[in-house]
Amino acid sequence: MLTYMIRRTLYMIPLLLIVSLFSFTLIKIMPGDFLTLARLNPLITEETLQTQIERFGLDKPFIVQYWFWLKNIVTRGDFGMSYETRMPVYKSLFLGNRLPWTVFIALSTLILTYIFAIPIGIYSATHQYKPSDHIITFLGFLGLSIPNFFFALVLLWLLVVVFHVGDYGLSVGNIMDMHYYGAPWSWDKIVNILWHMWPVWVVIGTSGMAGLIRLMRGNLLDTLALPYVTTARAKGLKERIVVYKHAVRNAINPLVTILGLTLPNLVAGSIVTAIVLNLPTVGRSYFAALQRQDEPVIMAGLLFFSLFLLIGNLLADFLLAWVDPRIRYD
Amino acid sequence: MRNALVLASLLLLGSLVAFGQGYAEMPADAKIIPIGEAGTLYETMELGVQGGTLTIANIEDPRGWNDQIAKETSTTYFTNRMLRGLVTLDHLSGAIVPELAKSWDISEDGLTITFHLRQGLKWSDGTDFTSADVLFTFNDLVLNEDIDTDSRDGLVLPDGSYPVFSAPDDYTVVVEMSVVFRPVLTQLSTNINPKHALEQYVAKLNPDVTPGTFNESWTLDMDLADLVGMGPWMVVDYQPNVSVTMERNPYYYAYDSAGTQLPYYDTHVSAIVANQNVSMLKFRNGEVDTYGVRPEDIPILLPEGPAKGFEVMITDLPLYGTTWFCVNQDIGLAEGTLNAKREVYRNVKFREALAHLIDKQTMITNVLNGLGAPQWSPISMPSPFYAGRDYYGGPVTETNAAWFEYDPAKAAGILDDLGVVDADGDGWRDLPNGEALAIEINTNDNTVRTGYCLIYQDDLRNVGLNATFQVVDFNTLVGRLLGSSGDIIQLGLTGGDEPNSGRNVYGSCSGLHAYRYSACDDPTEVDLRIDELYSLGTSTFDLDEAFAYYAEAQDLIARDLGYIYMVNRTFQYAYYEYVGNAQFSSPTSTPGGANGLLSELCFDKRL
Repeated sequence: MLTYMIRRTLYMIPLLLIVSLFSFTLIKIMPGDFLTLARLNPLITEETLQTQIERFGLDKPFIVQYWFWLKNIVTRGDFGMSYETRMPVYKSLFLGNRLPWTVFIALSTLILTYIFAIPIGIYSATHQYKPSDHIITFLGFLGLSIPNFFFALVLLWLLVVVFHVGDYGLSVGNIMDMHYYGAPWSWDKIVNILWHMWPVWVVIGTSGMAGLIRLMRGNLLDTLALPYVTTARAKGLKERIVVYKHAVRNAINPLVTILGLTLPNLVAGSIVTAIVLNLPTVGRSYFAALQRQDEPVIMAGLLFFSLFLLIGNLLADFLLAWVDPRIRYD
Repeated sequence: MRNALVLASLLLLGSLVAFGQGYAEMPADAKIIPIGEAGTLYETMELGVQGGTLTIANIEDPRGWNDQIAKETSTTYFTNRMLRGLVTLDHLSGAIVPELAKSWDISEDGLTITFHLRQGLKWSDGTDFTSADVLFTFNDLVLNEDIDTDSRDGLVLPDGSYPVFSAPDDYTVVVEMSVVFRPVLTQLSTNINPKHALEQYVAKLNPDVTPGTFNESWTLDMDLADLVGMGPWMVVDYQPNVSVTMERNPYYYAYDSAGTQLPYYDTHVSAIVANQNVSMLKFRNGEVDTYGVRPEDIPILLPEGPAKGFEVMITDLPLYGTTWFCVNQDIGLAEGTLNAKREVYRNVKFREALAHLIDKQTMITNVLNGLGAPQWSPISMPSPFYAGRDYYGGPVTETNAAWFEYDPAKAAGILDDLGVVDADGDGWRDLPNGEALAIEINTNDNTVRTGYCLIYQDDLRNVGLNATFQVVDFNTLVGRLLGSSGDIIQLGLTGGDEPNSGRNVYGSCSGLHAYRYSACDDPTEVDLRIDELYSLGTSTFDLDEAFAYYAEAQDLIARDLGYIYMVNRTFQYAYYEYVGNAQFSSPTSTPGGANGLLSELCFDKRL
């Protein structure tokens, strides 16, 4: 197992290299560059543009630019400077508490999704084809099909225009009221965070929940049809014990695997929601860099998200080995 | 919630160590804003009281706090509030007025300008402000090749040299030029940077640092207590993607006519809201005090205002900048193809026909919800040099406007005369030599621009021109425009009060002369005259004389139809009624979500 883990971790290096080359190529294929807007500005002369092009090395051939980028990372651990903010890229991406907030949003949503999806899935399976099963399935798919940005906007619109929360001094969007960000932790601050976080959980959570509910429902139905469940019932065990102790335990395995795969999705997939709900996440700064074609930051962001994806995959494999004793890697 | 805001502001104030105590008494050279004084532009404004928090929303995060490196409005919104220039453009009149300099003299020959600085002013940390700061800004920053600033671009004199700055004493700055260059005054509105705080980052003055160090100083991760400024507010807190908080600068040197130090608001918060729709919801929810209204918001906001206590200001003042269709007169030139099409495009009569097909009124009504104004000149309407005025800074009368009114019949007549007729009977007009004429209109994915193009496409097709419209990616679009590979492109350019920036667009060899780059090697008489007029316009400090040159240039440019001007959005914003003096605003201060408010003169009426 240990050798397997080491081997899998080492595999990530060539994978990341290939990902970086692909990403770099894609960015360079995109028309225009960081200076496109400056070219349209009547106040900026050709000479200034030329100086900037040389400073950022944009006049060099693509492969040379890639080589310098890679060399700086390998030899000096230097991922470059943002063209836009003039800070090292990691600061451009993570400045403030973006990373902890991103992790907080991702993990809390993940946990809540599982807490709701698993019981609902079980209920749905044990009440197969009953009206309640259909209603749950319908709602689940509704959450899955409404685009996140639209759902977020509708929620905010409901709060502001229909419920007039402003009249009660409640603000919308963000993780908390603006003035709490710099303030020390207090009970009020936590309550405020809860008020601001529920739309986030609803919007991001519902999009992932339908899939999990269906998966739980399907797995459990498969398991319930297995002979050992019939045996358990024949032994005269209570239905509750049959379902929860014998069936669910086996049916839940694939969901544990999926846990690892959901992680990168939650980080990268919530960019649009973060924009609408004004969340200070890594996705926001990455999106800003994309809009401005701030290449060093885009590259670093892509590597970061790829790393997250690979780690998620790795975790999924490890988890699977851990929960299912039949699986052995050697 | 508001109580909580005030409390938070107090907490912030308590944590400020860098701020000095403020002036013991009003400096003798303080700038007095004549609020409420008859006969001034400020006549109908109200005197306010100090206190409160003004909250606005910006769409993007600032990129840094370094004024010289700052380029876009999301950054300059803050740097322009922390710093001041020698002179400034008055928001209400557009004229150049004293700022850090209380007055200036221009020598007889126009080659020397002597600035007399206000005395007794201090930076926000209590350090004296002197001519050394001015020299530092121009000699060590603006004119220093190591520094990535575009302020330098505006100071290039017509002969390629730069002005020379010197200071005979602490409160006098002398600017000497080799040739007369009127726009230098506008350029001297560049913010003055604090020498004592920034010289450590300039390699020229501090051999311990590398040449690029200044470009990477005062970045977003700096300790904000180290910021030093001269403007009304200082940034004290930045939460990425959330907000920027500014506090009053105790050493700001402007006072109202009753002797109250400005600004009135203690705190000025900018919420960073990445989405316009959310920005509007936050305004309707009472979280921000002002909002820059889009045409599509008007039907929602107007009926809601009275109940919620906000006003929607609808003005007929167009914003700065131009929008146009660019007809590529060099089409196929590099490849040696499309010769007949290029010949037609180069015929000004053909472009006149195209101009007569722009239905500006429909564009305003359908695309801008009626909130737009037709445009004909390359110079923005608010500029005192706009040729729709009769004299420099005069009222807009449009007596000299070069309109090409919407008239499809006339356009069809011109096309017939040119021989651009349907030769093969397929229903589409062909080139005079019988080749088919296909026109492609391009713009990027932008609702307003797409709207303009769809209307234009219809009008072209209605007179038998085979026009198709295609949306392309913004960068591709810019590439086609600047690479001279487009056909008809719809885009726009930014503009300002000073017409000289137009030289980088309409000068025959300039980089934005995108309608005919070949003019550099092969200029027409019109091109040559335009070049000459732009030179003449900068060679005199007599504004009326300069106005006459620019008026002629505007007329020539408009009639040459290189860029065919269309319509421009007018200036709208909304504000809560408790914000005093919010009814006074100007598009001059609009960029970057300032929502046009003259924020340092606004106050909280509820205090």
